[in-house]
Amino acid sequence: MMNKTKGIVVLAQNNETTDYVQQACLLALSLKFTNSNCKISIVTNDNISAKYKNLFDEIISIPWDDSAIDTEWKIENRWKLYHCSPYDQTIVMDTDMLVLQDISTWWTFLSNYEVFFTTKVHTYRGNEVTGDYYRKAFVNNNLPNLYSGFHYFEKSDFALEFYTWLELVVTNWQKFYEIFIKHDKPTWCSIDVCTAIVTLILNCEDKISNKIAKFPSFTHMKPNIQDWYSNKNKWKDCIDVYLDNNLQLKLGNHHQTGILHYTEDDFIKLSMLKSYYKELYNDN
Amino acid sequence: MTKGALLIARNNGELDYAKQAVFLAKRIKQHLNIPTSVITDSVDYINDSLDHTVFDEIIPIGYTNDNNTRKYYDGTLASKTLNFKNNYRINAYDLSPYDETLLLDTDYIISNDLFKSCFDSLSDLQMFSKSQDIANIRDSREFIHISEYSVDFYWATVVFFRKTPNNELFFNLIKHIQDNWSHYVSVYQLSSSLFRNDFAFSIAAHILNGFMTGDYVSPLPGKHMYTTDKDILWKLEDDNFTFLVEKKDYVGEYTAVKTQGQSIHVMNKFSLERIINDEQN
Repeated sequence: MMNKTKGIVVLAQNNETTDYVQQACLLALSLKFTNSNCKISIVTNDNISAKYKNLFDEIISIPWDDSAIDTEWKIENRWKLYHCSPYDQTIVMDTDMLVLQDISTWWTFLSNYEVFFTTKVHTYRGNEVTGDYYRKAFVNNNLPNLYSGFHYFEKSDFALEFYTWLELVVTNWQKFYEIFIKHDKPTWCSIDVCTAIVTLILNCEDKISNKIAKFPSFTHMKPNIQDWYSNKNKWKDCIDVYLDNNLQLKLGNHHQTGILHYTEDDFIKLSMLKSYYKELYNDN
Repeated sequence: MTKGALLIARNNGELDYAKQAVFLAKRIKQHLNIPTSVITDSVDYINDSLDHTVFDEIIPIGYTNDNNTRKYYDGTLASKTLNFKNNYRINAYDLSPYDETLLLDTDYIISNDLFKSCFDSLSDLQMFSKSQDIANIRDSREFIHISEYSVDFYWATVVFFRKTPNNELFFNLIKHIQDNWSHYVSVYQLSSSLFRNDFAFSIAAHILNGFMTGDYVSPLPGKHMYTTDKDILWKLEDDNFTFLVEKKDYVGEYTAVKTQGQSIHVMNKFSLERIINDEQN
């Protein structure tokens, strides 16, 4: 039997304020450092600097038309990743993430699933996030608490069905919100909410998540789920960032492992992270 | 292996920690049936005026008048700013006469035998991290992390340790933290520069956990129950406590709370001393 191909896929579409391609390059650099054999492909219509192109296994144009041409968050193209992934087994990640440890065993875990979504995320202190500040729609409408920032699929009939439904919900999100979201209705198309709606339609929460396993997961740095005393605008205003020459990262004296979803773009601009990773990459 | 309890009693001219230590040593003997030693700068006072026979060893240290001060409340309406001599706990490892030591604050009132199991446990270092305010109406977040953004809180009030290389390292690290306190206040984003053993022990635990949440320190048996110095210990008969705990939003008013068979950290030392004096009379 032939070995299945596997790799990470990210969707990167720059907008007026954020260079998502740059974030994706940094993610790829972090992956090279911690998971040197793991492939990563980027789906984008934006330019990638020539010196970073070979970070990626494949550079893939967004299939069909750009469905997010008029929106800021650009998530309307997310459902296409199933169709354009070059791998049999794919992990999809947000671009504003860093891979800080070897995740090869996660692949073994994920191979038990056709589709898998993280349901638990953690604070920078390593505690499971319990706050619902950003998840009112999930709590108040009994939606499955899924995070699409890190998810997995294997090319299969079920995964195709799942993503076909996701296309339908994303392209008609207002109509589906009317049916499924009675309280705290978001005013934008949320990929997490759309994913949760698909999960309800297919009644497949148990099939695509695991409430016992602590990993796969990620550290979610949105500020108002960090168990702080009051709400904050930015986490970077609250805790310091420490990075050593071996790219060991501490946030507020807490050593970070796993996957870090840093969420604030100036984290990579202000920290030495980018230059450290670049130096490492150029040295190799 | 020798085992026993260790107390530190350094009087500050107002609060009589030596008297508290004698009171606690008797309860330790009653409930845990282990000897108690005391590290003190008041040896003559203990020998001449208190029941010194309750101690296995009296370990003398020099008297100092430290600059550290803090406000001590006696209920919600009365307070005094007094000398706060808390910088000797780091020497407990070196000075303990025991292979297995239960280090206690003198205001932790033992009322059951739960700590007997510390000595049977395989864990060489045990402290409380989780705690419960018996008033149950106050914001207790200051006892979850050492500051809003910082690391998990561990109580230095009760520490079980065996003499092992790892624990020697732990106490040496705490000494280093104390010696460089202003640096750690800054790096760990503490809101006050006042040295606190709870914070120093918490930071050391965090560092030795690899700067993560971990199990370098095991939990002590039971749960750390406490009352703050805004409450008043009103009555104590054997293991039955009656407290007057502050009433939320009504300064100067209290609610009576009773406990039985529960060891409790009584932070209002004035009211504790009144109870001790009443018992002696």
